[in-house]
Formats: sequence, C-alpha cells, structure tokens
Amino acid sequence: MSKRKWNHPEVPAEDLGNKVWRSAGELEDTPGLRQWVDREFPRASEQMRDEEDQETTRRSFLKLMGASTALAGFGLAACRRPEALIVPYINSVEWSIPGKPSYYATAMPSANGALSLVATYHEGRPTKLEPNKLAGTAGVGSMAQASILDLYDPARSRNFLAKGEKITKAAAIEKLEKFTKSGKIGFVFGEDDSLTRTELITQLRAKYTNAKFYGYEALAGAGRRASAAQIFGKHAVVKADFSKAKRILSLDSDFLDLDKQGDTKGFYDRRRPEGADYNEDPIKYAKELNRLYSVEPTYTVTGGMADHRAPLAPSQIAAFIQDLAAEISGGAASGKFDADKTAWIKACAADLKTGGGVVLLGSRYDKELHDAVYAINSKIGAYQTGVLVARTEKKHAQLGSIEDFAKDAGSLDTVILATPANPVYENPSLGGKDFNEIVKSKNVVQWGIHVNASANAADLHIPAAHYLESWSDGFSGDEGRYTLVQPLILPLYGGIQEFELLTGLLGDKIELHNSLSDDKAVSPAYTAVKTTFEKKVKVSSDAFANKTNFKDLVRTGFTADYKYATAGNGSGVAAALTVVAAPTSPAKPDVVFVTDYSVYDGRYINNSWLQEAPDPMSKLTWDNAAYMSPQTAKDLGLYEDLVELEKLEKAWWANLGIATETGVKTTPVPQDGGGPSLFGPMVKVSVGGKSVDAVVIVAFGMADNVISLPLGYGQGYDEHWAEEFRGGAIDYDKDSSKNVSSVGVNTGFDAYPLRNGQDYFAANTEVTVEKIEDKRYKLARTQEHHSMYGRALAREISTLPAVKTGGHTQDYAKQLDNVAKQGLDSHVPQNISLYKFEDRDGKKHLWDQSHQWAMSIDLSTCTGCSACLVACQAENNIPVVGKTQVAMGREMHWIRMDRYFAEPGHADHADDLKLGEAPSNPSQDWNTPLEVIPNPVACVQCESAPCETVCPVNATVHTEDGLNSMAYNRCIGTRYCANNCPYKARRFNFFDYNKRNPLLHKNLYKGPLGEKQVGDSKSLQRNPNVTVRMRGVMEKCTYCVQRLQSAKIDAKANVKKAVQKSGKPSYEFNADGKQDMNKMLMAPANSVKVACQDACEAGAIVFGNILNPDDDIQKTKKIKEENLEANIQGTYANPRTYDLLNYIGTRPRTSYMARVKNPNPAMKSATKVGRATIHMH
Amino acid sequence: MANIFPRYTNFLPLKIAVCIGALAIGVVLAVTYYATPKAQRVGYMPDQPIPYDHELHVNQLGLDCRHCHSFVEKSGHANIPSANTCANCHHKTKGNIKSDSPRLAPLMDAIDNDKPVQWVRVTKAPDYVYFNHSAHLNRGVSCIECHGEVNKMRVVFHAKPLSMGQCIDCHRAPEDALRPLEEVFNLEYDVRKFIEKNPSAKSSIQEFIAGSAETEDLDLSKEDDAQKAMGLMLKERWNVRPKESCFTCHR
Repeated sequence: MSKRKWNHPEVPAEDLGNKVWRSAGELEDTPGLRQWVDREFPRASEQMRDEEDQETTRRSFLKLMGASTALAGFGLAACRRPEALIVPYINSVEWSIPGKPSYYATAMPSANGALSLVATYHEGRPTKLEPNKLAGTAGVGSMAQASILDLYDPARSRNFLAKGEKITKAAAIEKLEKFTKSGKIGFVFGEDDSLTRTELITQLRAKYTNAKFYGYEALAGAGRRASAAQIFGKHAVVKADFSKAKRILSLDSDFLDLDKQGDTKGFYDRRRPEGADYNEDPIKYAKELNRLYSVEPTYTVTGGMADHRAPLAPSQIAAFIQDLAAEISGGAASGKFDADKTAWIKACAADLKTGGGVVLLGSRYDKELHDAVYAINSKIGAYQTGVLVARTEKKHAQLGSIEDFAKDAGSLDTVILATPANPVYENPSLGGKDFNEIVKSKNVVQWGIHVNASANAADLHIPAAHYLESWSDGFSGDEGRYTLVQPLILPLYGGIQEFELLTGLLGDKIELHNSLSDDKAVSPAYTAVKTTFEKKVKVSSDAFANKTNFKDLVRTGFTADYKYATAGNGSGVAAALTVVAAPTSPAKPDVVFVTDYSVYDGRYINNSWLQEAPDPMSKLTWDNAAYMSPQTAKDLGLYEDLVELEKLEKAWWANLGIATETGVKTTPVPQDGGGPSLFGPMVKVSVGGKSVDAVVIVAFGMADNVISLPLGYGQGYDEHWAEEFRGGAIDYDKDSSKNVSSVGVNTGFDAYPLRNGQDYFAANTEVTVEKIEDKRYKLARTQEHHSMYGRALAREISTLPAVKTGGHTQDYAKQLDNVAKQGLDSHVPQNISLYKFEDRDGKKHLWDQSHQWAMSIDLSTCTGCSACLVACQAENNIPVVGKTQVAMGREMHWIRMDRYFAEPGHADHADDLKLGEAPSNPSQDWNTPLEVIPNPVACVQCESAPCETVCPVNATVHTEDGLNSMAYNRCIGTRYCANNCPYKARRFNFFDYNKRNPLLHKNLYKGPLGEKQVGDSKSLQRNPNVTVRMRGVMEKCTYCVQRLQSAKIDAKANVKKAVQKSGKPSYEFNADGKQDMNKMLMAPANSVKVACQDACEAGAIVFGNILNPDDDIQKTKKIKEENLEANIQGTYANPRTYDLLNYIGTRPRTSYMARVKNPNPAMKSATKVGRATIHMH
Repeated sequence: MANIFPRYTNFLPLKIAVCIGALAIGVVLAVTYYATPKAQRVGYMPDQPIPYDHELHVNQLGLDCRHCHSFVEKSGHANIPSANTCANCHHKTKGNIKSDSPRLAPLMDAIDNDKPVQWVRVTKAPDYVYFNHSAHLNRGVSCIECHGEVNKMRVVFHAKPLSMGQCIDCHRAPEDALRPLEEVFNLEYDVRKFIEKNPSAKSSIQEFIAGSAETEDLDLSKEDDAQKAMGLMLKERWNVRPKESCFTCHR
C-alpha cells in the first residue's frame, strides 16, 4: 500500500539551512509521522473501526440481502421508473427563469460594518453568497460564506420557549404583554449600526420612558471604540485606507481577517509586486509595495503576511508602544527590551516615519493603549495623509455597554436580549457575578436563531429570522455607505425579524408579525426600513431627492450618496502607560482570550462548515486548544508527549549483564489510524481560582510563556462522543446538551469561565498552568493530511537589492528571474512526455479553439484564511464528514490550504539530536524570523495527468478545454487516481456523507440502518448544477465546471444573436467563412469567476481563458500568442509564475506566483526574510 | 467395479453445457433488448391531470412551442407552463374557453384555490446528466430530434429512447439534425421543401456541396442527402463542434 516514491531532486545546497515543517512531528521527523505520511490512506480506512461495527454491518448486510432476494420476485414493478411530478408555479414569478439562478443584492450585518453581498438564488432558495462588487466588496470571508448554512440549519429555533419548554405564540405574546407592562425594560442589541434600529429605539424610548438600551457582542472590542469616541467624538470609528498605507505596524491586530480595521483591498493591491493590476514593472514598482510589521503573541493570518514579525507577550505590548512612542515622539523608553529588540523597534520606528506609516492596535486592547497609539499615528501623520480616517456612525441613540447593564440591572424588570451574542454563556463573570444571577429576578426575553444557553435560560425565547430572511439596514465597513439587508426567502421556520419584534412592541397591543403565516401582509420590518429610507436617507441630500428611490436601493443593495461623515483628525493626550514585567515562568504565563477563526465568539458553534474548516494556523478542526510556544510546552514537560520521539527503553537483556548495549529504540506508532498528533496532552489552566482543562497544541511563532485560549467552544455535551474523544479529559456541563445541535456537541472546551468581565487577557500573576498527567484528548488536525513531497512547493523571494544565498549574491531582479528555477527546476531536463499532443498533421488532440481554462494563485497576497475552502464547499456540495473522519484523514475539502512554517538559516537539527532528548526550538529572537507561507492546493488540472492514465473505467478524462474532468456516475472507487496524484488533490467518499448524518455517533457505520439526512433543510442549500456524490466515488476540483459550462452555453447563443442582428437567413451566416468563429463562441473576458476566486478578498486567485487576450489571466501568467505553446509547458513570461512540481512533467493548468517579501534593509534579519522556499522531503 | 453412472450420463455434461450456454445467450439477449431505454422508455404515456392535447393546440390552433415552454431558448430546463399561461385563454375571467369543462378542473383549482397543477413527468434525463435545452435550440437542433412529433400527439408520450447512444450519435454527426435557426420550432419542417422554397438556400447548398469531394455526390432530391448537405453546410458556417468528452453532460 505504500505509494510509489518519486525521487525528488536534491535540495540545493544553499537551501539546506532552510528548515521547513508543517507540524511539530515533522519538525522532529518522528517515526510516527513518517509512517503516517507514507500511507496513501490511513490504516484504519481499510477496516471496520471495531468489532461492534463489524457485527452491525454484517448483520445488517445479511438482513438486507435476505430482504432484497425476497423482494426480487415482486421486483418487476421496479422496471418502470417511478412516476415523477412536475409542479409549475401558479403565477409566473417575475424575473424567474426555471433552471437559471437569479441574483439579489443584500448584506450581512456585523459589528465591523455591513458586508454587501449578492446572493445566488435558485427557484426560491438562496444557495451561495458572492461579493457585491458594485459596492466594492472584494470577497466574502469564510464566516459570511458559511452564514448561508446557518439559514438552513435544521436545528434552528422554530418555537417560542419558556425556560426551554415550548409554548404557543398566543402565550408568548401574553407573556410579552405582562413583561413590558411596567416599562422598565433593558434592551440589549447587537453592535452593528443600523439606522432603522436607531429610529425604532427613538420611538421605543418615547413609549417606554423607563427603558434603557445597550449594545453587546462578546468580542467586539470596547477599548478601541472608547478611545475613538474620546478623541474624535461620540460614535466615531477609525478606519484605515490601506491604499495609502506603505508602512504598517500591526500590534496584535488581525486586520486582514478577524479584526478588520477598514477595507483590505488597498493592502493587497500594494502587496502585488507587479501593481494592483499586474501591469507594472516589478523592479520599478518595488518602492510602492507596502511593508508590514507584526508584533503579536500568537500567529494570526495577518502575522503570516508580515515582512517582519516579532512574537511578544500581550502584557508587553504596552512596553512596546512606549518604546515606539519614545522613538517617534521622544520620551522615556520602558527598558523592558534588550539591545537586539530595541534595535528592531528603532528600525521599525524609523521606517514608519518615512511616509504612509500607520500603527494598528488590536481591538482587544485597553483604551489607554489606543490613546497612545493615536498619539503615535498623529505624529507620523497617519491622519493627515488619510491613511487613517475617523468617521462618525449614525447611532444617534446612545447605547450602554454590558457593564452598564450589569450596574443598571437593579432598576429593570425585564430584559430583552435582541443581540446575536449569547450573553448567558459568554458572561459567567460580569462584575464578579454570573449573568444568570444578574437577571435572576428579571423577566428575560431572548430573541435568537439558535436554541443556545441564553435561549434555554430565558423566560421567553422568540425564534428569530436569519438575516437572509429579514429586512434591515446597515453601513458598510469602509466608508460607511448606507447598505440594505434584503430578505431572500420567507422565514423557513417562522422566525420573527428583529424589527418585527421592535415594531410589535411599539403598538398599542403587542403583535408579532409572522411572515410565514401572514405572507400576504407586508412585514412591518419592510415598512420600517422603507420609512427610514424615505424619511432619513433620501432627504439627506439633493443628489438623492430625485435620483434614487427605494427600488434602486433594493436593486444595488447600497447607496454611495449617504455615508458616515468624516470626523477630522481629533485630539487627545496619551496618558502614561503602565508597563509590567514580562512573564518568565511557563507555569505562570500570560493568558490571551482570542477570537476563533471557526466559531467567532461562539455563535457559529452549530455551523459544520466552519467547524470543519481547519484553523488557518493550527489546522485544527472541530475543537479549540490551549496554544503555547514549543519552549513553553517543553518547560511544562509536554513537548515529549506532543512529539513522540524515538525513545530509549530498557531492553529485556539489560539485566543479564552480557551486552554493553542495553537500550533499544522504540518507535511509537499510533494504532488507531490517526496521525501522530491525534491525542494531545492536557493542562489545567487556572485564572483567579477558576480553572479549565484544555488540550495543548504547540503553536510555532508564539511568544514564550503565553497561552492563548480561543473562546466560543464547549457549549454542549454528548456522552457518546465524549467517550470516543476520550473527552473525559474535558469537563462538560452535562446539562448543556440542549444548548447546541448535533454539530456543536463536544467541540472543544469553554474558556469563558476564565474570563473576568470583558477582559481579553489574564495577567501572569493570577494564572497557573499545570500538566495533567495521564489524560489525553483526541484532536483532528489536517496539517499532515494529504502531504505533498517535493522541492520548492511554495516559493519566496525578497525585494532586497542584494541577498546572499549560499555562494551567490542575488538582487531582486535576479531573484525574480530565478523563481521558475528554484528547487532545481533549472537543472532537471525538460520532461519528454509519452503523450502526444498533436496528431501527425500537427493538429492538436482534444483542443477547444475558444476556451482553454487556467488559474493562477498569487502567494504574495494569499493569507491562508481559508475563505476559498468554505466557498468551494458551498458551491460544490461538498459534505462535512465529522471529527472522527477528519482524524482519519478523510476530510473532503477540495482545496487543501497547506500552511508551512519555515525558519531560514535554521540548522537541520534532527540529525545531531541525542536519543530521547527534545531538540531546540525556533527561538524567540526577533532577528531569526519564523515565517509562515500558505499554499492552497486544489486539483491543478494537469495537461498530462497521472490520474487519467490509471483509471480503469475512464471516469476521469481530459476535456477539450483543458480540464481534468470527473464523471462521477462512472467512478467505481478504485482510488488508483488518488494514489497516482502527486498533488494529493483527490478526495474519496468513504461513506455516503451526504445521505447519512456523519455527526451522529457511529451513524456512518450503521449502514442502511443509520439515520438519514436526505431531504432535511440543509439540502435546500445544494447547488442544483453539481452532482451530490455518493459513497465510493472519488471527487475533486474541476474549476467549477458548472459555471464554465453555463458560460460556454451562453456564448453559443452568440451566433443566433448575430443572425438576428444581420436580418439575413441563418444559413447565409458566415457564408464567406470570414467570421472569427472561435472568438464569437468565446465567453466574454472575465465573465466566468470560479467560487474560490469570488470569495478571495485578496484577489489572490485569478482564473480565466488563456485564449482570450483580454482576460485577466493574461496579466498574471503573461501569455502571449507566440509563447502560448511554451506556457503550456510551464514557462511563463511573468517570471514570478511557476508550476507546482514542474519537474515531474504533469504540465498543470494552475500555476502559482512566488511570494515577494519586502523587508526593511535596516533590520538585522532583513537578509533572512523572503527565503522561505519550501522543500518537503 | 460396476459402473456407478449409467450410460446416458455420458452426454450429460455436454447437455448441461449447452443448456447453460443457451440460457446465458438468452439472458444476454433479453437484457440487451428489454433493459435498454429503447424498450423501457419508448411509449411511456402517463395519465396527466389535464388531458392536454398537443395536436389540437399546435397543429390545429398553430401555437408555437415557446408559447408555453417559454424559457426553452434561455434556460437549460424546458419549463412546463405556469397555470396562469393556460388561464389566459381558459379561465372564466380571461379567455373563458371551455372554462367549465371538468377536464380543466385542476387548472381552475390552481387559479382559484392555489393548488398547483401536478403534471406527470414524461421525459427525464438521469440526475447525472446535465442536458441543456438552450444550447441545442440555439444551434439549430429542433425539439423533434429528441421529443418526436409532439405536434401530432393527442396524449404526449416518450417517443424516442433518449439513451446515451442517441446523444452520442448526434454529437458525432450533428449534420443529421441541424436545420436553419428559423425552422427549429417548425415541427412540420421538411428539408427538401425548405430548399425548394428558398432559392438562396438552394444555391448556397449547391455551391457548398460542389466545394468538396466528399459532398459532391449528395443528391438534393433524396431526403437523407439533402439533410446531410444542409447539416454539413450549417455545421461549417456556424462552427458546430459538439463535444464528446464526458464532462459535456456529466460532471
């Protein structure tokens, strides 16, 4: 079963010192890992899981066989196909063409600003969310992509509940009447800025004079807002305009993903070495590139993009800011940093002053730090040059904070929680009290889409409508343009919209409009939004008055004529910062509570796409973990447990005294088919007397003596899974099972109990960490799955004028030229293919004259955020497989987001390691950069594809337009193709993941007796143009072939259009043969966008037709007519473009563009940056 | 030792072999005939909730296919008309034609009581086949090629096998089906009559077939040859190159 090994060429001498790895196991080259990656399919894939499964399956198999034999006699009925019905509309729906999707503008509200979207709509079902390019949305991140699954979640709330018990609507309204009678109501809303809500709050204030209003979301970051409010005035938000930013210092701000501080398009535009549109000369353009410094405790997606990155404990950020301020505007340094680090800060500060500089501080930091950063930004001119712009939100109704709420609670009778957050779960310690305790004697009304802890605790839970079922409005995240949220579907489960609840409370008699049962009546939410538009927005300017009406707004989804006002440059004085000592002991580390890349603050706990999407950095699915640096893990005595090295054990002959060699090497190889990192060791983290047990993951690039705990997990419990994950290790509240659906049970641990109030950190003085012996917890991490061997997989160069690599000195131009020759691609002779691409007359086999598709992926802008992966899942009906299956390496994602760590110049220390001794780890030294380089790999559509030749049934064959297609109905599941794929891009359906719910314990192994999920509401999300694959079928990326086919079919109508235009009979068309028919039948340039490309905020994925000279793909691949042939063979006019594993001669259609780093020459580490070319062996 | 087996068993193995052989051949023949779309599908004529008569509406009244199947040129699906299309002529508030006929009761029920008409599907491509109507109609393939002479059907039935073989045959030799775009929805189209009626078409075709050695023997007075000549000419002029790779229909 071992796969055939390709003898990859030697690594060039100068790259040998460049240590690269994906996981701790790989870094130490453990035997367990070697065994794991050598196997094509993990061991357990070949067998039943345990005896019980075998029994069930055999028994059920016999039962079924018996039954089907008996039925065979009556089987003739099956010869005729079953009668199927076609049920057309009664009245045709305007704009609806059965079989063709329509597109509607809407937006996803969020605390960071509304995200303008275009929803794809198939016969009444929204199926996919795309960016609204008209509104300037560049891409749709993974959470927004996955929000469509939330809409169809079968576990969504559909009933009114009182303390978890179902009640009728009439009873609910009665309760609401009773609760609101006194008028002492506390309303808690989300943090998004909605004009209509603001209007309704004004009205509510008038009616309920004793009411109070609050805004709350768990991780919205109060410090930044408070600082901005003081400096720029009430409701001010500061956004960065990255198109003007040339030097960016991110202080623990993940501004590219979870902590957005403005539209990121400008950032990526300045990240492309050939300019925003790939049409500049890279050498001349180098001075326009931005430079990103990142100082952060944990590796974030933003940190991965940094040119210079420094790991720093969160408590030291204040000291860093003080030193930076000292450099920039004078003052005393903190004295907390040694000479090397001070030099780093000096060089960084000097660079920030060169123009276009900006410092961005993470939202989670306190107001004082933000004030200090404001002073720095003012000094370096960030506000004056417009890199940072303060704008005023439209919230004219003041909302209090959750702390205010805790204080005011005594004066309230009723609490109405209309926030997307989950306050009961998130606030075990609000001002020292549990949230439940605060609202104990109050009437709690909770409105939400999930039956979570807050819903179950509430006296009245009102099922909410999803944002795709609601009328609402908001303001975009960049300039604050007025944006409309339009419903795409009637509430599936009869949920109540937020504004329906608010308007309901405004009436003389409380009413709750239900759009599902009252579908003939206009929703009051619609009326409210429309009124706001007519009364507030439309009258705001003359430009509006006659030009735009509500219909226009509904069509485009936004208006540029009504937006946030700018708030000037502000003024403020930074107070002196309190500087504390750095944590020195691993047992008393700094704790940082971080937002999770999958569940956000916990609201996406029931979203299986997000749960299964690997964390961009740790590649962990379905769980959270306590992350710590390798050194910290080592100091805690955990590293050996994490990375099972070859151990020296006492041999049986040791006591006989006859041999001198008394030790034997043992190789611990995991037996249950999982990778070597399957079971993680546990630690007990205590903060201020409260503790949680957490599983540990070693996170490279973290600051020492820091533990980061992602929030939002551990919301629900299920005993079956607990046993399987050995989750005895994690303490769950056994009563919490009702708070989540089958998706969210037993995922991770809950870190909220450690959090004091809304704190994001716990100082080392109140923290203790100790190892828990003999307890382990099962983790499903994808980082070592589908490992690709090879040289120069991800390539990196730097803009430095002269870099010494090995013996050579290369400048930027030379490095650019050598991109395609990295990894010995220059030394390996051109592969001669046994395939012939032309017949004897030189005519190409299988060659479409109009379309030849290709893709290019720019590693300079790819952050590894995994939005493409979720978008692909949404577009291509990719199933979720569940944690157990992921642990076996069976995840189905067509895009594998490889994430490599690299430490240029790091000695290959595995060899000089003594037995049983843990090796040294990447250091905390800021001048020895640890780099991250992501590399998204899907099927690269080889011209001479190894998979095609081995398929015994021709299920995977080449197409005329250059795809490597899959005829799923033909596949018999031999898996030869996956064996033969050097890119490991193929995924196999080991089970019928679509039909049988993989999230129920052992359900997959029950065969036909298992619970089915066919026809549940999730299937409404399916793309009707993509086959839903069944068990035993191989699948992979085919460049969204459904979109390509549809574009080609649309182009076929061009002849007809031309005929109609000419007015001549159709048979006379092109009688002289002078029409360029290839051009005529070609899809228009850039008309086809594949799902991953559409989702990518960075625009890192470019897709197009290489035969179309106007297509964007020409810019990235630089294909000209004369070198078309050369291009197909992997040499490109754009020097930065290279083919993955070029030397094996597969001639892939997807090419990559090397990452260009732009280091600061004044930094000591400059020459080490930009050398993270990845060779895996 | 006495013979255990009597004499007649000498030929038993041979007999058994022959019988099994015959049985095997029989099974193969039966499967090849009965288990194919040709035998399974052709002639399928389900009862419809409303006995809609294509012959009446198309042949006698002259309705175009697209009057009811309105998006067939735009979409992959050939839509079944929504009830309001029928109601335009038949409902008592509109055209009032036969509005009190019991046969039209389901239609009236749909309009008056919001109960959609449940038509029974006649033609169905398997789920793994992505057939697109617009792609074919916009390139000169008529409805009739797959659906048969619907204009003559009093009750609509499955007229052609619609097997993969039928698809492939046509994709290999599209000239057997191509016709001028103006004639795609003309179910009475006859290629010879068309050529006779359109002198410009005739001269075009004559010029075309004279242009190549392969086509010069075609006799325009024979139906097959005339179709082939027309088809080949249109194929060349419109650049019709149907794909045969799997992904054309399966993906």
